[in-house]
Amino acid sequence: MKRVLILMAKAEIKGGNITKWLVSGPPLLFLIIFFVVPSLIMIVTSFRYPGEFGGLAPLIAPTGEVGGEYGMTLETYQFFLSDTLYIEIFLKSFGVAAATTLICLIMAYPISLLISRSEKRYRNLMLLLVILPFASNFLIRIYAWMIILGPESILNQSINTILNMIGIAPITLLFSPFAVLVGMVYVHLPFMVLPLYTNLEKHDSSLLDAAQDLGASRWQRFWRITWPLSLPGVFAGSALVFIPVLGMFAVPELLGGTSDILIGNLIKDQFLGTRDWPFGSALSIMLTLAVLFFAGLASWFARQSGAMKHAN
Amino acid sequence: MNLLYICMYVFVALSIFSIQPSESNAGQEKYTVSTSGEEDVLYLFNWNNYIAPETVRHFELSCNCKLSQDYYSDNEEMLAKLAAGATGYDLIVPTGNAMDSLIRQGVLRPLNKSFLSNLKNINSVYLNTVFDPQNKYSVPYAFTLTLLGFNRKKIQDLDLPTNTWAIIFEPRYLEKIKGRVTVLDSQRELMAAALKYLGYSVNDTDEEHWNQAKEMIIRAKPYWAAFSNTSYIRELAVGNLWVAHGYSNDMFQAALDAKRTGRKFTIDYSVPKEGGVLALDSMVLHQSGMRPDLAHQFINFILDGSNSAELTNLIGSGNPNIDAIKSIRPDISRNKAIFPDKKILDRLEMLQDLNRNQRRLLSRLWTEIKLR
Repeated sequence: MKRVLILMAKAEIKGGNITKWLVSGPPLLFLIIFFVVPSLIMIVTSFRYPGEFGGLAPLIAPTGEVGGEYGMTLETYQFFLSDTLYIEIFLKSFGVAAATTLICLIMAYPISLLISRSEKRYRNLMLLLVILPFASNFLIRIYAWMIILGPESILNQSINTILNMIGIAPITLLFSPFAVLVGMVYVHLPFMVLPLYTNLEKHDSSLLDAAQDLGASRWQRFWRITWPLSLPGVFAGSALVFIPVLGMFAVPELLGGTSDILIGNLIKDQFLGTRDWPFGSALSIMLTLAVLFFAGLASWFARQSGAMKHAN
Repeated sequence: MNLLYICMYVFVALSIFSIQPSESNAGQEKYTVSTSGEEDVLYLFNWNNYIAPETVRHFELSCNCKLSQDYYSDNEEMLAKLAAGATGYDLIVPTGNAMDSLIRQGVLRPLNKSFLSNLKNINSVYLNTVFDPQNKYSVPYAFTLTLLGFNRKKIQDLDLPTNTWAIIFEPRYLEKIKGRVTVLDSQRELMAAALKYLGYSVNDTDEEHWNQAKEMIIRAKPYWAAFSNTSYIRELAVGNLWVAHGYSNDMFQAALDAKRTGRKFTIDYSVPKEGGVLALDSMVLHQSGMRPDLAHQFINFILDGSNSAELTNLIGSGNPNIDAIKSIRPDISRNKAIFPDKKILDRLEMLQDLNRNQRRLLSRLWTEIKLR
């Protein structure tokens, strides 16, 4: 009897497994094909020699050829570490990504709060307005910024007229780290607004009423209730902004000046300019590891804040 | 355990596919489409805006076939796409160094000169280059020079020289035009200009000389507005830029735009006295092409002077075809920055391909230049 029960229990677990696999199978397969497999290919590539004409050098030397560079090597990683140069670019890219995330957060929070607290019938319209820029191609929007920030633009000219009046030398907006930051924030702002809104919208407004009844000021109500409750949204939005900014190469290329190279540009250069696949792969792996680290960090923080909420 | 099996299965399946890249790319598919249709199609892998629309029309009429084009904006891009397995192109129009790389890879088809009766039209100066000594694989198509374009009025007002690379490398000149200068966003082209200014060959690979060039570039960089490969055309024509390092056909475009929009200045361009880069683009047959007959027909068609002149009249590219000169607008054919005379030609050099270690080293110098 006992054995039968155990068998039945096992069968049930097995049946559950099949459903589980059926549901999670397709997305899992998708991830395996488009994330795990390319990553594996990149890892292998990063240990090989670059080919003379691009691509990869053969693993086995062609017959009759002695010496030369064939097979697997650690050389690419040695090259990466031989100079602080590449580490500096990583740090710089993280700096830009962090700054972009922070600015996006500061700008997106009031917007999201406004949308979530406004009347229901306006909410969808406002959300639509946030998403609307996606209707036109992102490169075209960046080109528009080139015109807005250009030296002959009204914006730059009027700033310089004002600066001239108080006796400060004129400035150029385009082709500067400032322009890169403007472009990055502009492109990624909706990615911060949307998760924040989804979170803020769910808040129970009676909590705020209760706090008010207990004598909490406006500021206290925000810091003690709204902000802690919105933390999961903040982390989700931050991850959605921080991670794509790390890999972005088009914005610094178009809006940046002579020193605005980021890790994305470097990787693109290895494949399209230098024909150095192993080094490009090694850089991509480093970037992937860094991104995974930050994604992990964000979800850990989110879980911590979730746990905190329950404890409270 | 299941997961592991799926992983392995997919990985093995993918690696089998990746061994035969030619099976699964766009060019090949296009060819199969063309065989099932009735039309004859010639596949051309060409630079952006590098053939006049009327030339395409005339050729399609003369061969009773269709010309299908794919585009690249950079030799490296073209090589990278071919290296990644793109096939099915009958004709490619690479610059010398890229052609050299294709020849050494053994992916080009030798020409059959008996089909090229118009080959006699080509100026012998542009034949027998170091890349293809007997023109076994290539026929010159057009060329551009890398030089300096400038706003004539501004430069005259500031009393600056226009015949030397010093204007983009020496702080004493750059001080006057800070933020009004761009240089090409190309490792090879910028290094070539710097090496030429230092008195070395554009193909110098001595690490010491490269470092000198790098130091000079880093010293000059704070004065430059940006590295730019295309936007300088517009910015020069509008008046935002006063000096730009770029290609002769782009400068031609900028000068034309400034004139058409009635600006109060003119855009001029000239080859610095230290010399510069000559980029000779040639038509070559790719081995994967299915219609070498049409490709030969196309080459012979382009070799006809009046057809070849159409491109020069359109974009201001240099033309190696002697027979074409009479059909080219005189303001273009007399421009020495488009059609260099013997004296200028002697100071021009063609870029040669670098090996993988040199490429990696140059890439590091370039990263350093961009970061500092």
